[in-house]
Amino acid sequence: MRPDWRFWFLAPMTIALATVVLFPTGYLFWMSTQRWVITNPPRRFAGLDNFTRLFGRDDFWQAMSVTGLYLVLSTVLMVALSLGLALALAGTGRGVLRAIVVLPMVIPPVVAGFTWRFLLNGEIGFVGAYLLPMTGLDVNLLAEPRAALVSIVIADVWSRFPFMFLIFLAALQSIPRDLYEAARMDGANPIHEFLFITLPMMSGAIFVALLFRLVDTINTFELIYVMTKGGPGRATQLLSLFGWDMTFQEYDFGTAAALGVVMLVIATIGATLMFRRYQRSEREMSR
Amino acid sequence: MKLSTGLFSSAMLCLAPAAAFAQTEVNIVAFAPGFAWADLFGATGTEKTDKLLAFEAANDIVVNIEFADEETARQKVLLDLISGTGNYDLVMLGSDGAVQTFSYAGYLEPLDGYLASATDYFDPSAIYPQFLEANRVNGQLWALPYYSFGAGVIYRQDIFERYGITAFPTTTEELEQVLQTIKDGLAADGITDVYPLTMRGAPGEEPSLDLTGFVYAYAGQPAWFEGGAVTPEEIRETDARPTFTGDFRPGFETFVRWSQEFGPPGIATHTWVDMMNLYGAGKAVVLLPSAINGFAALGGTENEDVRNHTAFAPSPIGPSGQPIQSFWTFSVGVSAFSDNKDAAYRTLAFMTGEAAMQGFAETIGWPYSTFPSITNGPLLSAKWPAETLAAVEASYEQANPHYFPYIPELNAFMEQIGTAASEAISGTKTVEEALADLQGWADETMTAAGYYDN
Amino acid sequence: MSGVPLRHSRQLRIGRQVFLAAVVVFIVFPLVWLALASFKTRAGALAMPPELIFTPSFEAYTKISTGGVAQAFVNSFTIAATNVVLSLLLGVPAAYALARMRGKLQAHLSFWVLSIRLAPLFAVILPLYVLVSSAGLLDTRLALAMAHLTLTLPLAVWLLMTYFRSVPRDLDEAAMLDGARPLQILLMVVVPLSRPMLAAVAVIVFIFSWNEFLLAFFLTSRDAQTVPVMVAGLAGTMTFDWPLIAAISVCSMIPALIFVSFAQRHIVAGLAAGAVK
Repeated sequence: MRPDWRFWFLAPMTIALATVVLFPTGYLFWMSTQRWVITNPPRRFAGLDNFTRLFGRDDFWQAMSVTGLYLVLSTVLMVALSLGLALALAGTGRGVLRAIVVLPMVIPPVVAGFTWRFLLNGEIGFVGAYLLPMTGLDVNLLAEPRAALVSIVIADVWSRFPFMFLIFLAALQSIPRDLYEAARMDGANPIHEFLFITLPMMSGAIFVALLFRLVDTINTFELIYVMTKGGPGRATQLLSLFGWDMTFQEYDFGTAAALGVVMLVIATIGATLMFRRYQRSEREMSR
Repeated sequence: MKLSTGLFSSAMLCLAPAAAFAQTEVNIVAFAPGFAWADLFGATGTEKTDKLLAFEAANDIVVNIEFADEETARQKVLLDLISGTGNYDLVMLGSDGAVQTFSYAGYLEPLDGYLASATDYFDPSAIYPQFLEANRVNGQLWALPYYSFGAGVIYRQDIFERYGITAFPTTTEELEQVLQTIKDGLAADGITDVYPLTMRGAPGEEPSLDLTGFVYAYAGQPAWFEGGAVTPEEIRETDARPTFTGDFRPGFETFVRWSQEFGPPGIATHTWVDMMNLYGAGKAVVLLPSAINGFAALGGTENEDVRNHTAFAPSPIGPSGQPIQSFWTFSVGVSAFSDNKDAAYRTLAFMTGEAAMQGFAETIGWPYSTFPSITNGPLLSAKWPAETLAAVEASYEQANPHYFPYIPELNAFMEQIGTAASEAISGTKTVEEALADLQGWADETMTAAGYYDN
Repeated sequence: MSGVPLRHSRQLRIGRQVFLAAVVVFIVFPLVWLALASFKTRAGALAMPPELIFTPSFEAYTKISTGGVAQAFVNSFTIAATNVVLSLLLGVPAAYALARMRGKLQAHLSFWVLSIRLAPLFAVILPLYVLVSSAGLLDTRLALAMAHLTLTLPLAVWLLMTYFRSVPRDLDEAAMLDGARPLQILLMVVVPLSRPMLAAVAVIVFIFSWNEFLLAFFLTSRDAQTVPVMVAGLAGTMTFDWPLIAAISVCSMIPALIFVSFAQRHIVAGLAAGAVK
């Protein structure tokens, strides 16, 4: 490839990223093939042992199912909320409302986690110990397994939806008005408009948002850790928390690395699928 | 005048770098600023008090401490030790996992050889032997204890009297009946936000210190491995397999049942902070077996009843004749990768010696101290009733610091045990299921670690 | 001006108001509660039933001003600002190049850039720690800024790339006919046109870096500690000081809040014009 200007423009970014990324990723793959438990000092090559042992562990599959459930729940809620808000706030003169909607993104997830934990706490939380009992619902939001999962989903949606909202809003704003006017004249009602104009025109945005969402879920950690530490039991122990425990409590670096590789592979497959969809919709848009 | 001032200043300037060269830096990471070593580092953990400055000057050492929360500190320690970077000379440990794991992994410096070198600060013969024992693995000493505690119960005497109980029960059987009486009494009075018992059930290693204490009281021995084996050598020699579905069960089951029946609804997520807050808010009647969290609650509470009617009782005795154990030391060790081990030990001795513990008693004032002279000294005697201090001292003597096995995998086990308890308490698994899964994990881990290869 | 669905029935409008009201409560309530908590005493904050009307106490805020908390804010700010500069410096040219490319190489490269964030952090923390430690850069703001780049640079490149695609090529070509070289085109034609988008990206990068926790947690100790790490640190101490955490959180929100309220309009305008067409 002849080094034209594009090469030089891309070089700095590539070098910067490669330096910080290549070594750790390579190290990660190498670590996953090592039996490295610090309670058993001699480190030795173990091939794919770590992986087989990982797949044989019940708590691994538990973490997988919790993560899957969490991903689906939070994504559905977040997309619905962001889309609804984008539709409601499109157009001019909504600056104040938009600024408010963007607020949660501005707060560090750690702080969001504490705030929600203290709101939902069943003994001293405003919502959990005061409002909720008044409605007659006898649920301890953080202490019961299923309720805890719902609680962290709510906190996560609260914390991250603004970003998705912004993407949707932007996409919505860029749909040409004439399309709607034309549809109006053909007698379309709002639902038709939504299904046949809005959604298709936004499909690219939706895929991008889903892509970012996938990336986020892999790394969602501190919000959940601070709220429930993965509990009660293992009810909210996502793969990221499971990996954390394996590293810092079981001190089993080899298996933790194997877990990391598994997560990376799954995420890459998911991302590739989303990416292909996104590219396809982009191509259709720019005909 | 000006000339001499000028000469004086330039002389100081010349001396300063020279003095700096002679100083060794000792880096420490620990948790709880304003609590740990408040007499040295102040309420924010960022100052240097006169006491500390005097030590530094006398020994040509500069002490740099970094405070973080317990989890953070532990992880920083781990990363530093694993990568051998030696960024920290003194590392914070706990006697419930870190000391064992890290010593076996070769990350710590054995301290027996250093004990004689700083007796002016730390005199090993003047301390309660149990606290040193808790930091001995395979007979070697790996860390010195800072604040430490034994087992006991904190309870609300006024509520006990209200329901007709005049003395704190001495056995676990009696205690269970008392808890039921209180529960019924509270229900009859229509009180819904006060619970008979507060313990901790959060997943991870949180409940394990107390839970294993229950196990010990019910089985009479640690009951993790066949024959009560507690060291790697014993386990290997006797081929002792894990017995989590065996002798371990009674104590585990009691812990789970009491949590469910007598504890607050959220107990499966409670950490020691929640446990402490609940008691401090006047919402719990009994706190055990880590009574220290009750004393901590006293310090922060604004509830008059809690403050005036809290009493201490010895830990109840289980069916085996042993009391429910709880024993822990906040230990500090010397990193095997430190470049300044002598200076590090000297600093360690200073920070855990009698003067430091006296400072701890002054700033925090709990009835627990690692030195008999302080427990029985004027400061604590003025603050606490004599029976309390005597009972606290007795709890050390009745303690078996090795009430859980001292194996390298201890940390992983504590983590799994605690999570199993959390799952059982929250109802996601039955006691049988939780123990079966625990047993499976333990079998797999011990076998993979090569204990049973003969 | 581009599009918004036109007038709707009354039902839809009322439905919309209700929905918006509910959402606003959902968003604002925790924040208000947090702010209120920062003015309570430690025991007051845990009181049940919660005190809605109470005499404010400035305990928490005084603790902040007297404690060593300011350093964390300075660190967070410096790191985030450095990150913005680096992300733009490295990201703008790269995004432009990617925008003007077609074909497989472009697809592969842009995917690779995004996939960087797919590895879970707990798995790469040890090698990262070793890497930074052996470079002697542990607990420095520079190291953390560079580490954050792995998270923010891909984001910046992606957002900018899709935006630049919407800048018409004829502008490029016209400039080329005038003899301009690619760098000049970028700096003198494309960048000035993209100011809203650049502002948007700057704000987003700033916020991400400011809020980042895991990397900051491991790569810093005393000197370069950031605000989220400090907040987390407060939570595990012997006495849980909820008002203090709330106060620090309130303070930590302020810079980002200022940015966002200014730039909100630009963000949307920027994202609109091309982020997703």
